Amino acid sequence: MRRINLFLMIGIFSLFLSSQSGAMTAKDIVKKSNQASYYQASDGKADVHMVITDSLGRTRERDMTILRLDNEDDSHQKYYVYFNKPGDVKGMSYLVWKNPGEDDDRWLYLPALDLVRRVASSDKRSSFVGSHFAYEEISGRGEEEDEHTIEEETDELYKIKSVPKEPGSVEFSYFFTWINKENFLPVKAELFDKNGKHYKTMEALEVDTVAGFPTITRMKASDHNSNGYTVSEFSSIEYDIGLGEDIFTERYLRRPPRQHIGS
Amino acid sequence: MAVLNILKILCLSILLLAVEVGRYAYSSDFPKIHGFLEEAFAPRVGKDDTRHRQFNMAEARAQLKTNHYFIGNNILADWQTFVKARCDFVLDIYEGGKVITDLRELNVSFTPLDIADIKVGRQVLTWGTGDYLFLNDLFPKDYVSFFIGRDDEYLKIPNDAFRLMLYPEWFNVDLVWIPFFEPDTVPSGYRVSYFDTFQGKIAGVTAERDVLMPAKKLSNFVYAARIYRNFQAYEAAFYYYRGFDPSPKSYYDEQAHQLYHERLDSYGASLRGPVFWGIGNIEAAYYYSPDDSVGDIRTIQNSRMKYLAGYEKDLSNDFKMAFQYYLEQTLDYRQYERALLPMDYKWKEYRHTITNRMTKFFADQTVKISIFTFFSPSDLDVYTRPSISWSPQDGWTLTVGANLPWGKDSLTEFGSVQKNKNVYARLRYSF
Repeated sequence: MRRINLFLMIGIFSLFLSSQSGAMTAKDIVKKSNQASYYQASDGKADVHMVITDSLGRTRERDMTILRLDNEDDSHQKYYVYFNKPGDVKGMSYLVWKNPGEDDDRWLYLPALDLVRRVASSDKRSSFVGSHFAYEEISGRGEEEDEHTIEEETDELYKIKSVPKEPGSVEFSYFFTWINKENFLPVKAELFDKNGKHYKTMEALEVDTVAGFPTITRMKASDHNSNGYTVSEFSSIEYDIGLGEDIFTERYLRRPPRQHIGS
Repeated sequence: MAVLNILKILCLSILLLAVEVGRYAYSSDFPKIHGFLEEAFAPRVGKDDTRHRQFNMAEARAQLKTNHYFIGNNILADWQTFVKARCDFVLDIYEGGKVITDLRELNVSFTPLDIADIKVGRQVLTWGTGDYLFLNDLFPKDYVSFFIGRDDEYLKIPNDAFRLMLYPEWFNVDLVWIPFFEPDTVPSGYRVSYFDTFQGKIAGVTAERDVLMPAKKLSNFVYAARIYRNFQAYEAAFYYYRGFDPSPKSYYDEQAHQLYHERLDSYGASLRGPVFWGIGNIEAAYYYSPDDSVGDIRTIQNSRMKYLAGYEKDLSNDFKMAFQYYLEQTLDYRQYERALLPMDYKWKEYRHTITNRMTKFFADQTVKISIFTFFSPSDLDVYTRPSISWSPQDGWTLTVGANLPWGKDSLTEFGSVQKNKNVYARLRYSF
């Protein structure tokens, strides 16, 4: 009798354990995915090449270097963007202090005027440099902003449904994200508008392991309303390069940190 | 004449194409040259008796810029030395087809200490929080470029300056020395007509006045300083300027129609940061006029106070709206009133200005519509600057806009230039 009890106890205990480790909540998964996508290491650098294609097949290009530094809370971040292309924006630098759940702080430096302009930025859904990526699709959307549920689970993927807590602040009514169970990087996301129409898709086209971190190196955003799309390629990726806090200040807006962004 | 001008434009274009080709032909260590080519034309709305009655601007412009970074094992590389050059060549039809060279930047920057940057040479200097309103930024502006429809870049005139930037732990310091005072470019009647007080009417080429420049000597050096720091997302700054009023409004010798740049000391402060789901800014400046410190000389500007409050909000869908309220107060106003002669125009003690800026992007941000308006309820004058720019493909931008000043009186800031209503078009290719 005692033996049966013991077996029962062990059985229940192991069941409990497995449910703890195996079944993450949808929010945990999204949080882990955000960490894997936007918070790898404590800082990072990448050269970004964007090709924006419109419905007629005409292309425009954007080249920039992005530096990133995470705050110790692993939620706030600072971004420094230096534009190389096209010619009319070359030499401009852009600073973002990302505040999840609140407005970001943004500054733009216009070298021809020696002007540091403060940029009002309530709309994180507006287009990033005219591409089909929204701002928060480049720097991440906080997991607190949506209610998440696991829609489907396979051996390789989670399919998560996310519904915004403040529907008025975004153009979508919900979106699905397919997340790789192994590395927690998103594989694909589909966004649906207020009428339930699937109007936008984002895909990770290539994933490489850089300094031990699985990293998306090529991704695509497609707008099904306009039939335009943008492909972003990330190269010269580096992690844990020891970026100082001071790089993300007015001093380096005016004097781009050449050691990190090339000339 | 027209054929000759077109030829000149063609020559300039071919020269630039050659530079571009050369850039590709040379190895990668060849300094990269960037810049743009631009054609600009601004017909007037209504004639004026400036040099050309039908237009304010007709020019072809080539801007070339390059920079060089020192690398290797030497002190220049250790100091992260950086040389920057930017020069405009303008074929100016307004000036009868003259080619004008405008050196915008030629400077060297270096970092001799971790906490210090130095920038020496010709450079553009800007600080302060206003949008088209300048309180503590007393660096020179080109208001003629502003009124005829050139790009915003040309509102700022470069300075030959020495600039020391210090970044100790608790605050940042900017110190600027300018050996030779550089004034604003203001309407003179040649390209932009204005109210000529000597004639008592708006005048073009018939305007007659001399503006005297401060003598080039050590005691006339211009000094400017800014101390600033961030408190989280809030930027606080204090400013100081010792020099001359960049806009000539004081008379040296009224009988001889001579104006001059009176001495000016300015002290100010500003604060900018997030407020009410947008960006708010406040700024103030005290202008001390040493040449008329009591305020009882009627021909010289009194000391003044300037106040500014602004707010900008992102209204989503690539639409932004901003407002500013700006107040200028003449100090020692009683003395000023008492000193006036019976025929003198009496300026109000307070001048209020409200501005509005609306900006909206369309078509994947390839089309930008912007409208900026100044309105003074105390002077009853207005100045509206609508513009639309379109970038059909990378490198190319077509900008069409207008300058529409109007005033109830001909003496006020925008009333004075109200005959210069124009529309403009600029086509630019950047590389």
